[in-house]
Amino acid sequence: MDHRPQAWGRPRDDVYGAYDASYLHNNGPKTATQSPIVTGTSVIAIKFKDGVVMAADNLASYGSLARFTDVKRLRPFLSTSVVGFGGDVSDMQFLDRHLKELATDEAYEHEASSTTTDEGGSGAGEGQLNAANLYKYLSKLMYRRRNDFDPLWNQILVAGLDAHAKPFLASVDLRGTTFTSPSLATGFGAMLAQPIMRRYAATEEDAARLTREEAVNVIKECMKVLFYRDARSLDRYSIAVVTKDGVELSEDEQLEKQSWAFAERIRGYGTQVV
Amino acid sequence: MTSIGTGYDLANSIFSPDGRNFQVEYAVKAVENGGTSIGIRCKDGVVLAVEKIVTSKLLKQSANKRIATVDRHLGVAFSGMIPDGRHFIDRARDEARAWRDTFKTPISTADLASRMGGYMQAYTLYQSVRPFGITAIVGGFDSTEAAPVDGEVGSGPSCGAGGKVLGKTHGGPFLYMIEPSGLYWGYYGAATGKGRQSAKAELEKLDLGGPAGPALTLEEAVKEAARIIYVAHDDSKDKEFELEMTWISGADGPTKGLHQEVPKALREEAERLAKKSLEDDEEEEPKEEKMEE
Amino acid sequence: MEFGNSGSLREDGIHLDMDRLKKGEVNLGTSIMAVTFKDGVILGADSRTTTGAYIANRVTDKLTQVHDTIWCCRSGSAADTQAVADIVKYQLELFAMRNGKPPTTQTAGAIFQEICYDNKDRLSAGLIIAGWDERHGGQVYSIPLGGSLHKQPYSIGGSGSTYIYGYCDANWREGMEEADAVDFVKGALKEAIKWDGSSGGVIRMVVLTAEGADRHLYLPDTDYKVRHV
Repeated sequence: MDHRPQAWGRPRDDVYGAYDASYLHNNGPKTATQSPIVTGTSVIAIKFKDGVVMAADNLASYGSLARFTDVKRLRPFLSTSVVGFGGDVSDMQFLDRHLKELATDEAYEHEASSTTTDEGGSGAGEGQLNAANLYKYLSKLMYRRRNDFDPLWNQILVAGLDAHAKPFLASVDLRGTTFTSPSLATGFGAMLAQPIMRRYAATEEDAARLTREEAVNVIKECMKVLFYRDARSLDRYSIAVVTKDGVELSEDEQLEKQSWAFAERIRGYGTQVV
Repeated sequence: MTSIGTGYDLANSIFSPDGRNFQVEYAVKAVENGGTSIGIRCKDGVVLAVEKIVTSKLLKQSANKRIATVDRHLGVAFSGMIPDGRHFIDRARDEARAWRDTFKTPISTADLASRMGGYMQAYTLYQSVRPFGITAIVGGFDSTEAAPVDGEVGSGPSCGAGGKVLGKTHGGPFLYMIEPSGLYWGYYGAATGKGRQSAKAELEKLDLGGPAGPALTLEEAVKEAARIIYVAHDDSKDKEFELEMTWISGADGPTKGLHQEVPKALREEAERLAKKSLEDDEEEEPKEEKMEE
Repeated sequence: MEFGNSGSLREDGIHLDMDRLKKGEVNLGTSIMAVTFKDGVILGADSRTTTGAYIANRVTDKLTQVHDTIWCCRSGSAADTQAVADIVKYQLELFAMRNGKPPTTQTAGAIFQEICYDNKDRLSAGLIIAGWDERHGGQVYSIPLGGSLHKQPYSIGGSGSTYIYGYCDANWREGMEEADAVDFVKGALKEAIKWDGSSGGVIRMVVLTAEGADRHLYLPDTDYKVRHV
């Protein structure tokens, strides 16, 4: 028994080792964050003639554990844009709620400045945030949070139309890094899907020649490759097509026409033939 | 009001010997001078309508609205002092936002009415403030379906949640009116402002409070609301006015659970019928009311 | 805050709950679960609490009431999850008094989630919220480590749960009768107790329906066959 009052109420040193009081002291920079826990993998998207196609699978992983298999990672905004989230799911939910509030504030603003609308007022009205505006907002938010040393642990794709009604697609990550391209992919997709998408849309001109059907097929092909080669992926996924007519979102797609039968021809690992 | 304050009307925090708060009663006067507002709770939604007096031809048409949206599923119309109404709406939006931040679900119409009633009442208590010069009509449609928590992912069993109490419905259309005293009641049909007397008389003729619930449908209510505003205006026969009208239906109705302006075509049709009905009533002196927009 | 030097998520780190513990902290080694069934929900848990390999409590109650028919299963740090449950219990009581109506499972889920998310770098709490309310019937929400909120038909959690993903996926059926659902929970927890060193002791359950909360207790010396209480 240690009779020093300082030791009372502490785990015994001889059993647990010296008490680690390091967390009580705050030396060095503030590190509020952490590492992602429940995570989503790649998001991929490609522009086409009239809009953008985006897809992400429905899995939220917990380390290597496929823990939640019904997580929808594509979120429509004001029926003008789609936001796709990779990375931490709790931060995705935070952003989702934040965007919902933003949409409500937008509706207030829009109502205050509008005169008479022809029909109720759904969809992208005059002066409402388009995808480019939303993206600018999100990228500033992400960059600010990284400067607070409290980043939102996500890679985000934003798709929709810009102010000139041209297809818009851009990316922002947890550091506030921003870029845009005719096709974009986060996570594993950047390595596995992006080369495939570039075969079809290396430049804006190429993308402007793609039809909707072609773009959807490219995306579906990429999702298949990702399922083959990404160990944190799932064969159920969501796909969204955003055009001037709004967002079409399907959240329960199943990968089709997979190729596995060739496994039959693989025998042993070298010279074996039986 | 017959009696005068004789000193007891100088501040909120002073009762008169016969138990009245004169400041509140004067605030009611301010409301009674304002353009009429009505609300109708019908079978499948709520309709709000206001008679917006055109005070100057130099003001832009259909600007400066007197009905506003709170969150996405609630509407507030008011009669009385417009700046007071604006502040009321700001506060209602803050309350709705605070509720969402805490509980991650939309605030119910009843809860918003309760909070705003409390807020108005607080302005009858203190020396340093005056009561609100408005009466507000709060309409909303609380989701009848089970709604998700904001941001949640995933879903329950595809067969639906077990153990729900059968035959019990939830949500639906709701209507409340909050007065300067902070008093609020739930209503089948509510009217306030200058033309409230005739508006109430008209509302009472509608089938709104039967034991089986209101029989009136949303589209019928829109037409009735327009007519009632025209009737209420006709009594006072003062300046020109604009009809401002919004509605809220359930998720399966025309507004999909949102508070929205009544579409222009429907509103104009309702106004045409309203004018026609007025003309039919007054054949002896058919007057041309030019109320084109 | 330091969580010890193995605190980061390994690529295959499914025992992450243990890694996140602070030094010397009591761990709810734990197998917990909650399932929806025809008339409501059932929560279930083992009863082992460990500090390292020592069983600090062999008859722990990990099923915690936060309102009449809203309960939670706690995993991770005992201290953290108790503190969070206490806060939510207070908030829900306040809600019921202020609004004159009982809170829903969703209300509880939203409050739990906010606390877990806002304090994600301070807490090691893996919670399952399950409740019955008049409007939504039985519901199950899972709040894993980072503070995300997942609605599920049934949910399993704690270190022992990793051993029973297969069992649960194979045996789960929607809309079960109460007796079948009790058997499902018991079968799953028996496996978890069998294979997970950090889970053990008795099996506790709480059945939440329109009738209220009903506790079950099953003991290892009768092979969990007889219902006590």
